[in-house]
Amino acid sequence: MMKNERTIIIATGVVVGLIASLLVYFGNPANMGYCIACFLRDTACGVGLHSAKAVQYIRPEIIGLILGAFGAAYAHGEFAPKGGSSPLTRFTLGFFAMIGCLMFLGCPFRMLLRLAGGDLNALFGLVGFAGGIYAGIFFLNRGYSLKRSYKMTTLEGSILPFAAIILLALLVAAPAFIHFTKAGGGPGAKHAAIAISLLAGLAVGSLSQRTRFCMVAGIRDFILFRETKMLWGFVAVTVAALLCNITLSAVTSASFFKLGFFGQPIAHTDGLWNALGLFLAGFACVLLGGCPMRQLILAGEGNSDSSITILGLIAGAGFAHNFGLASSGAGPTANGQIAVVIGILVVTLIAYMNTYKK
Amino acid sequence: MKQYIATFFSHFGALRFQKLCSQLDWPARLAPVPRSLSSSCGTCVLFQTAELAENDLSQLITPELEQLVLDDNGYTFLYTVEE
Repeated sequence: MMKNERTIIIATGVVVGLIASLLVYFGNPANMGYCIACFLRDTACGVGLHSAKAVQYIRPEIIGLILGAFGAAYAHGEFAPKGGSSPLTRFTLGFFAMIGCLMFLGCPFRMLLRLAGGDLNALFGLVGFAGGIYAGIFFLNRGYSLKRSYKMTTLEGSILPFAAIILLALLVAAPAFIHFTKAGGGPGAKHAAIAISLLAGLAVGSLSQRTRFCMVAGIRDFILFRETKMLWGFVAVTVAALLCNITLSAVTSASFFKLGFFGQPIAHTDGLWNALGLFLAGFACVLLGGCPMRQLILAGEGNSDSSITILGLIAGAGFAHNFGLASSGAGPTANGQIAVVIGILVVTLIAYMNTYKK
Repeated sequence: MKQYIATFFSHFGALRFQKLCSQLDWPARLAPVPRSLSSSCGTCVLFQTAELAENDLSQLITPELEQLVLDDNGYTFLYTVEE
């Protein structure tokens, strides 16, 4: 498998892009076949951790990504519980990565899918994201480290995959304390059938575990090593989703592609804050060692540092909605702008302290 | 000359190791850890030198080193950190 790593990564990118585009056809919000930030946020609200009624749904894609990675890792003898590398620092970085994503309205994965849907606002996000990665690399090259991880027990590595199964049971059983956005009530009401979403998550989760697919690694590895394998995967996702969107628009009555800045689904047109949001997310993710999706995959492999990061992302989503930090189609909020600036300062401080003051 | 791969707990550990290789006049470059070696993502140093003797090995082992591997038609693990 490894000899043709680049081909396999590109093929994975194509499959991931196609699945992402088709998920919208099957019911997911526009340009949101996947969005790890949005889906963690929806899931948090689905279990009542915040109360934004428009975004309440336990997303099976998240469950599938974790369990797909868990299954692939287990099958290949790569389920290896480990952790203990600055957990609370990782929680904090995850928290602010989410604040940045919800300023932009999407994680780096959705940034690609927004581009594939013709949303040019995502170009500002891409510029900010690359800038954030560059900022993180500045510290990596000067000694940044969150210290090593250690082998953990099987139980420690299994808790998050087990929690994913519990979430699936809650989604299917739908007891009264699980929240669902009412039809027409917002993006939370838009979703593919549970089985389709779950299968899509399982497929992408297992493929990503095999290939180490990561939205941060593409740009990071190019800057650090002039290594383009993952960057090609990045391009493959975008091109495959773009072509599938155009095809779907041609053969169905719905629109899956609209080129421009204005009137884009679940997006705003404030270029500066789109860029700063993903600058913060890119910066935090380089310090964490991977994008939000990669954290789900590593958590599936038993990495409890990534599990803590996911809890940080979820907490960030809760605060983002409770404190009015998340943007909407109308644009960013003043609270959100303040939070992003605070986030950039905190992440810079974390980078500095773990580089020069160890 | 033999081809070796060294993996680390941090990117900076790899950078420092690469400098050490340069001082020893060993050709060395940074790269992502090969997927066939690990499912986690990190930075490794690919370097070439004559066959490493036991006392060479002890000089190379630092707290930042995770694995040292001989890449010669398959991997031979020369050092793996204690977990």
